[in-house]
Amino acid sequence: MLTYLGRRLLLTLPALFGVALVAFLLMRAIPGDVVTNLVGQAEVTPERLAELRRMFGLDLPVHVQFGQWLGAALQGDLGSSLRTGRSITGDLTLRFPVTLELTLLSLVIALALALPLGIAAALNRGRWPDYAASVFALLGLSVPGFFLGILLILLFSLRLGWLPPAGYIPFTEDPWQNLRHMLLPALSLGLILAAATTRIVRSALLEVLGRDYVRTAKAKGVAPATVVLRHALRNALIPVVTVVGLQFGALLGGAVIIEQVFSLPGVGRFALEGINLRDYPVVQGAVLLIAAAFIVVNLIVDLIYALVDPRVRYG
Amino acid sequence: MKRFTSLLVLALAFALAGWGFAQTYGGVLRVGMQADPVGLDPHITNATSTRNMLENVYDTLVLFDSSLRIVPGLATSWTTSEDGLTWTFDIRQGVTFHDGTPLTADDVAFSIERIKDPATASPRADAFSVLESVVASDDHTVVMTLSSPFSPLLSKLAASLNVIVSRATVEANGDLQAVVNGTGPFRFVEYLPQTRMVLERNADFWGTDAAGNALPYLDGITFTFYPDPTARTTAIQTGNADWIEYVPSADVDLLRADPDVEVVGGLSANFRSLYLNVNHPPFDDVRVRQALAYAIDEQAIVDLALFGTGGVVATGTTVPGANYYGVDANPYLGSDLEKARALLAEAGLADGFEFDIYVTSTYDFLRTPAEVIQANLAAIGVTANIVAEDWSIYLPKALAGDFESTILGESGQSDPDDFLYNVFLTGNSGNLGGFSDATVDALLTQGREVADQEARRAIYLEAQQRILELAPHVFLFHSAQFSALRPNVEGFEHFPNTSYLGFRTTWLEN
Repeated sequence: MLTYLGRRLLLTLPALFGVALVAFLLMRAIPGDVVTNLVGQAEVTPERLAELRRMFGLDLPVHVQFGQWLGAALQGDLGSSLRTGRSITGDLTLRFPVTLELTLLSLVIALALALPLGIAAALNRGRWPDYAASVFALLGLSVPGFFLGILLILLFSLRLGWLPPAGYIPFTEDPWQNLRHMLLPALSLGLILAAATTRIVRSALLEVLGRDYVRTAKAKGVAPATVVLRHALRNALIPVVTVVGLQFGALLGGAVIIEQVFSLPGVGRFALEGINLRDYPVVQGAVLLIAAAFIVVNLIVDLIYALVDPRVRYG
Repeated sequence: MKRFTSLLVLALAFALAGWGFAQTYGGVLRVGMQADPVGLDPHITNATSTRNMLENVYDTLVLFDSSLRIVPGLATSWTTSEDGLTWTFDIRQGVTFHDGTPLTADDVAFSIERIKDPATASPRADAFSVLESVVASDDHTVVMTLSSPFSPLLSKLAASLNVIVSRATVEANGDLQAVVNGTGPFRFVEYLPQTRMVLERNADFWGTDAAGNALPYLDGITFTFYPDPTARTTAIQTGNADWIEYVPSADVDLLRADPDVEVVGGLSANFRSLYLNVNHPPFDDVRVRQALAYAIDEQAIVDLALFGTGGVVATGTTVPGANYYGVDANPYLGSDLEKARALLAEAGLADGFEFDIYVTSTYDFLRTPAEVIQANLAAIGVTANIVAEDWSIYLPKALAGDFESTILGESGQSDPDDFLYNVFLTGNSGNLGGFSDATVDALLTQGREVADQEARRAIYLEAQQRILELAPHVFLFHSAQFSALRPNVEGFEHFPNTSYLGFRTTWLEN
């Protein structure tokens, strides 16, 4: 198990290097640079523009720039923003918890809805609970997250006045206010994730329910609830874990649009601002963090397989 | 007894009337901002967002008032020598920075030098290129020596990113990105990126209102960042914010209809033009430029492309008509297709021609007018093709004059020189279309040398008449900027240069 973990962790290094390199080159391939964005339409001599580029190290050959950045990154220093001078490692440390909290909350909401709905649909195949779950799933899959977000704001903030429309309060400062601000964005993401997961739970459970061992369990008089929850569901969870794991990784990368709509200071909005203003080190740092988060989540998903299915062993 | 009663009623009436107007102290104003500051060091950024949040933390040597006249700031008075080359400023006494150290003339001289110093890399270093030296001749006097007379100097000093900072703070920290130490009405408390910036009242602030009461009235300001325009609109409607900036023009009417929200603002200091590149035929022919100006319907652009609320038709040139230095005589207003056709025929283009309008896809207000222009010009047989690109790609090309025509403008100016000198003088960086005219050059240069306001005005009016005649731009509109506030927010004044100095006199009614 430990050897397996070690090997997996070692394999992440070339993956991270590849991601960093691609992000670095792509950012520089986009036309426009940070200096023209910083200066805007101000009256500036070409000499001063050159001076600014030199200050930011943008006059160096690209491979030298990459080497310098990589060397510092290996020591945990992702550099500082070209616009604000703020440390990127520090800014990401501020933002990652926001994205993590949003992701975890959405996941809880998604599972709390998807498991009961999926089970009810599978057990009542072809009857109204199944149709209701299908309608929910179809709606959830077709409504874009930002649109759902706006609808939720209109209902819960503007009409009912129960929740704030946007903004963020750190959890450590006021946990209650923090949750009030997080609820709507988490619902917007969670409802959509729940829709996809409901479909998976239903189909995976249906498949397992048709298996011989389930019939055997029923035949020997095991209580129906125990058959479903203990014998069938556990086996049906493998594809569910896979799908949820992938979604979780994607959400950790920052739900860019939802963070924008609800003014949350997460990783996605940070990266978006960096891209718009061609703030190279910000984008590189954010992409590296997102890639690392994705890899770690996949690793965790693999470990969860072993928990769910004792036959899976990593040696 | 009767007399006593009527006196009492009178006294009560006065008390009630007075009560409605009396400023009250206290309360924190919750402000909804569009964007984060681009760094906290005011000298090294041009960002409006940084300016708007820090201009009440720092002070400038002189200030604009809400009609854009220059009034004393950290300088109480100033004099100019006969030849216009030596400016002497008396620095306000008894002012302290937020860290408790006193402001001296040395800090003032240091601040201006810092903006000018190439090592600071300030985007506004060139604004002070005419400055030969800035010297603190004693603790409360600063003397500036110029290489040539430059009357816009005061406007440059009033620009609220050209603030006075503490020499000791800069020397201790290297720059001002992490430490904010000003002399303004509010102290900086904290900044959480993309979350909020918090300011608290500076009880030692030097400023007072007209009645001599201490400013500011507010206990503090909390800026929250809502990048999404709908989020800002909702925040003010639900009362989660007391004041928001940049009301999207599509939402102005919606908020005006809301009894719990007031909309303020309007004309702001900027211009938006169709720049014609005179190096690209047929725009080298003044008749063709005039024909376009006659054919384009400015009001239709404001009504259709800007929802009727996003802008005000340009009745003069780049200087807004309402400005003291503005001309209110744009002959091309409305749509005169007869004249346009006649001028085209005279230029030998009776069958029309085809050209590109290069625009940015990033900002709607610079892109959608092109569609109206396209339709207007089709009526005189001229085919305009719209080419749109992302701002980061568009701007360098536009600044390099790499277009046949483009829709652009400049913002935030307060001095007629800002609107005209950079935009129309031969070879200047804002003169994107390569316009060149000896008469205009001479007048604009003269305008810089004359300090007397009326004499300056005459010069600028003449220059603008000439510019209108030569039509290097089709002057389209001036963007409007609206803020929205809750009814209990009082005393906020809209500044046409879109500065938020109005927070200095804002109070909350309980």
